[in-house]
Amino acid sequence: MAWDLKSDRPIYSQLVEQIQLMVVSGIYAAGCKLPSVRDMAAEASVNPNTMQRALSKLESDGLLYSQRTSGRFVTEDVQRIMQTKNDLAADLINDFIQKMNRLGFDREQTVSLLNRMIKEEGQNG
Amino acid sequence: MLGKLLKYEFKATARTFLPIYGLILVLAIINKLFWNQSIDNFEIPRMISMSVYIMLIVAAFVITLVVTIQRFNKNLLGDEGYLSFTLPVKAHYHIDSKMIVTLIWSALSIIVSAVSVFIMVVNPEVLTQFSRMCADLAEVYRQYGLSAHLIAIEIIILIILGFLSNIVEIYAAIVVGNLAGRHKLLAGIGAYLGFGIVEQIVTSLLFSGFNRQIEEYFQSFHYSNNLFPAEPAEVALLVMILYTAVFGVAFYFFTNWMLTRKLNLE
Amino acid sequence: MDSILECRSLVKYFPGCLALNSVNLTVPKGRIVGLLGPNGSGKSTLIKLANGLLTPNAGQILVGGMAPGVETKKIVSYLPERTYLNDWMSVQTMIDYFGDFYENFNKSKAYDMLQRLHINPGDRLKTMSKGTKEKVQLILVMSREAQLYILDEPIGGVDPAARDYILDTIIGNYSENATVLISTHLITDVEKVLDDVIFINMGNIVLTSTVDDIREKEGKSVDSLFREVFKC
Repeated sequence: MAWDLKSDRPIYSQLVEQIQLMVVSGIYAAGCKLPSVRDMAAEASVNPNTMQRALSKLESDGLLYSQRTSGRFVTEDVQRIMQTKNDLAADLINDFIQKMNRLGFDREQTVSLLNRMIKEEGQNG
Repeated sequence: MLGKLLKYEFKATARTFLPIYGLILVLAIINKLFWNQSIDNFEIPRMISMSVYIMLIVAAFVITLVVTIQRFNKNLLGDEGYLSFTLPVKAHYHIDSKMIVTLIWSALSIIVSAVSVFIMVVNPEVLTQFSRMCADLAEVYRQYGLSAHLIAIEIIILIILGFLSNIVEIYAAIVVGNLAGRHKLLAGIGAYLGFGIVEQIVTSLLFSGFNRQIEEYFQSFHYSNNLFPAEPAEVALLVMILYTAVFGVAFYFFTNWMLTRKLNLE
Repeated sequence: MDSILECRSLVKYFPGCLALNSVNLTVPKGRIVGLLGPNGSGKSTLIKLANGLLTPNAGQILVGGMAPGVETKKIVSYLPERTYLNDWMSVQTMIDYFGDFYENFNKSKAYDMLQRLHINPGDRLKTMSKGTKEKVQLILVMSREAQLYILDEPIGGVDPAARDYILDTIIGNYSENATVLISTHLITDVEKVLDDVIFINMGNIVLTSTVDDIREKEGKSVDSLFREVFKC
């Protein structure tokens, strides 16, 4: 997966989001060992200090854990990963509803519009 | 660190000098062979090989001067200076290494030229003459005893010192010339001439100031039994050594000060 | 003592030009720092002072707590803007040269990087293109286990594809706990690898900040902020 970093937001928070995405989408599966900070930083072409900071944040959130000798791993707690997945989904939906609101759709209109589009897509596809 | 600098300074310059030395010696042998042929109509090849030989000897000395200037200029004041001056080495080691290497190449150029002449002219007659000359010299040497040693040592010191002092004078001129924004070469030559004039002035001031003392000193000796007294020669050489040393040291410190304090690489 | 580079009321002037106007600056250890400023802002002067290629007129510049000299040159690895390689040497001789003079030079690392770039160590520098020479130079500089890397316009002369390679080489090879000071005007390309930025203009430090602070507070990239600050 390619790292996609925008230039107008802190790199650190973008790294946190993208690693979360990699974990919930299974690129880094539960219990899987992560590459070294330096390698990950080189892959994303970012500063190792920033990558370190992002990983530490994810560690304190409980999505990752590190073992002193053998490196850093994705949590084996599938529940925790699902929770992150749900959190990300909730964020996306909230964002979507807010934007629809600005367009003048209230919640119910938004939901019915969404239903209709999904149905149409099903017929076309 | 000086040793390492010397090593690379030799490597950088040997590429130029060794081939020329080789050619000079080869040409000397060819000249020798051509002369020994008693074939008619051999004048033209003889002339050609002789002129090539002379050109090479001249080239060896010109190149010694050019390499002296070019190594200092390029390796310290050009782009390479960014590396030279960020090596963990005191700046004066750069001057030392370049000076020593130039001295050695100059000496080698003289030795190689002498050897090549020797190759060309050597035959039994020349050898006897040469050994007779050596014997004469040894005789004079014996007569003067300890003074002869002293004078010989003084002459060697004076030659080496004169050489080194000339080299640092060139370096000092290059550094001064480098301060000029444009026409650095011209400014450098100007600085060199300027230094020469300053030396001349100092020399003539000293001579006119101490004229009488000098005359009196030399007249105080008796020139008898066809052996010149050694003392005035010893003293004169010593004064010249000191004089050369003072200028050499001044140029050395000046160059070092400029390199460490006033240098601004482009 | 956790600063690697420190300037105290540092002043440097040239005939008719004040290059650094009483600069106070502290660069901590273990950071990648961008020294950003327009042409003629004093970047190069600051870098030359840190490398002992110039001497200050007033104030102090300290590298690892010491005034520039033989000891600081041992711990600073410097990539100047121009190619400073001795062109009569082969790459191999150049590596020996670095190995002879710098105790912290890692030869096997240098050969490793050369091999990855398919540069033949036996080749003479004279026969190389400018781009290859710059790569060799970067390899030499990054193969030192230094405490402070000072890189002057490391991506200035190369195409965008090579820029990424160079930045990757820098972040992949600087030794741990070392500080990397990168001077450049190509901010977009480097800002994602920087921890901190220093804006310098007309011999004055205009701003020092972390990259993420700028993005967080200003909501814009360092590049856009730079364009704003140095608007003509």
